[in-house]
Amino acid sequence: MDYFYHILIICLIYSIFAQSLNLELGFTGLYNFGHIAFFGIGAYTSALLSLNGVPIPLAVVGAITLAGIAGALLAIPTLRLSGDYFGIATLVFAEMAHLVFLNERDITRGPMGLPNIPRPDWIGSGISSLPRFLIVTFVAAALTFILLRRITNSPYGRSLKVIREDEFVAQALGKNTSLIKTKAIVVGSVLAGLAGVIWAHYITYISPADFTLQETILVLLCVVLGGKGTHLGPVVGAFVIIFFAEFIRFIPIPSEYIRFVAPLQGMTYGFILVIMMLKRPQGLIPESRKFTTTNA
Amino acid sequence: MTGYYAQLLVNGIIAGSIYAMFAVGLAMVYGVFKFINFSHGELITWGAYLTWMFSSPPFSLPVYISVVPALLITVGIGLAQDRFVYRSLRQSNPIAILIASIGLSYMLRNGIRLCWGSDLQTFDLPLSTGILLGGIYITKIQILMVLSALLFFSILYFLLTRTLLGKSLRAVSDNIELSAIMGINMKKVTWTIWVLASVFAGTGGILLALDTSLDPMMGMNSLIKAFAAVLLGGAGNVWGALIGGLFIGIAENISVAFISPDYKDFISYGLIFLLLLFKPRGFFGIAGGVR
Repeated sequence: MDYFYHILIICLIYSIFAQSLNLELGFTGLYNFGHIAFFGIGAYTSALLSLNGVPIPLAVVGAITLAGIAGALLAIPTLRLSGDYFGIATLVFAEMAHLVFLNERDITRGPMGLPNIPRPDWIGSGISSLPRFLIVTFVAAALTFILLRRITNSPYGRSLKVIREDEFVAQALGKNTSLIKTKAIVVGSVLAGLAGVIWAHYITYISPADFTLQETILVLLCVVLGGKGTHLGPVVGAFVIIFFAEFIRFIPIPSEYIRFVAPLQGMTYGFILVIMMLKRPQGLIPESRKFTTTNA
Repeated sequence: MTGYYAQLLVNGIIAGSIYAMFAVGLAMVYGVFKFINFSHGELITWGAYLTWMFSSPPFSLPVYISVVPALLITVGIGLAQDRFVYRSLRQSNPIAILIASIGLSYMLRNGIRLCWGSDLQTFDLPLSTGILLGGIYITKIQILMVLSALLFFSILYFLLTRTLLGKSLRAVSDNIELSAIMGINMKKVTWTIWVLASVFAGTGGILLALDTSLDPMMGMNSLIKAFAAVLLGGAGNVWGALIGGLFIGIAENISVAFISPDYKDFISYGLIFLLLLFKPRGFFGIAGGVR
């Protein structure tokens, strides 16, 4: 049962992360290939602040604020770029963030990572804290879901979709497209930062190896598999992918073959991405193309 | 002290000639098919690892012979990418082709891990002795790197300017629909582009691996440098890619004199940002096209 709690917590953290990417990739059509950077900025900031004696709630607020600021700073120069250039710029941004985590040893302890990240007293540590941590994560994921639902169903959300379909049309309709896109990236980065914060305080140990292209691929897969541009899609995608990854651990594999598991898993992820694009680009849950006027 | 800088400059030219070889394929694919091929980096890695495989037991071929089957397979991978993935996606949403290329790259990279593990590997060569040329230290493999790049780019120049195939290649990258209307054989051109991209990337990868070592991430890391080179030269421009590659190599190596080597990669990363900000069409103005 404890293990099940653990899987659920990881699923919920990834569902927040995937939902935040979906706002950019699914609703706005921004190919962010460096989303892990904001997850990492959130995780590192909150960990460093709380390790240095800042109260945890304050550390959390500081972390997601910094993730949002980083998002705005990235958005301003890169948003003028067309789609695939934006993809490269974000990929490079994530590599830069990774290099900073790795090389600023005085602050981040470099490859050794940060151990013993504290948790709030009322959650506690150890196995007995799992149900309480699960509730906190669930509340965060639910709030993210409701927030994104409200945003994307609002007039602002509809202008995001117009930008995705045709940016010139959005401009012709008098929309300030770069401001609208910047807001989407800031919200996406804040939520990715939130996912990173929860993750850091849950695992209680982070190192630069946790924030690489590998994780970007994983979260991209969650969004694409579930269905980009839908509310439930990324959540479903996150649950499917994380359960699949955890399920593999239970297959009895002779120890001499154990080293083949991770590469095969990676190949499967890559293969699913390619096949989804070829056969079912809309994902498991297709986006409804009906025009809706309700604000529900 | 000038000797030190001269040495850095030479190192930069060596690195740059390899980056240029990586960048050419990326630029050609972008010029014609208008997408950034993220799995281009994996052609680099596969070329290097296959050569390493053929030169170690059970094959134990000499390195210069094992290059041949390795490049043939690399070309096969390049053509298969197009045949099974990109061709079907050519008419669809640009985001689909980009995500597919990211997925493909991840799949191929994990294929490397599956076959040969994640650890660093090196060619089992006798320790290459360096030559001292006017106070500058250079190894035989590094001379080979520069010479290969020169040879490959000369052949490419001849191909593009003196043959009908090269001319149709340039025409297609200028305007794909008009070229098709004029009766240019698109299949042949597509085929040529993928063969050229794979051979340049594979050869560059082999040379890089001979000079340093093999690891599964080598392609991805080089891809970012190659992309910086392509941007610098103007997307889709082959000669821009050559000059861009050299520039990145030199800038990176000279930077070692001023900043911590840990942040050497920041040069190309920072350059990408600056270029995207101020000169998204590259320094060599002519946007698009294999010229």
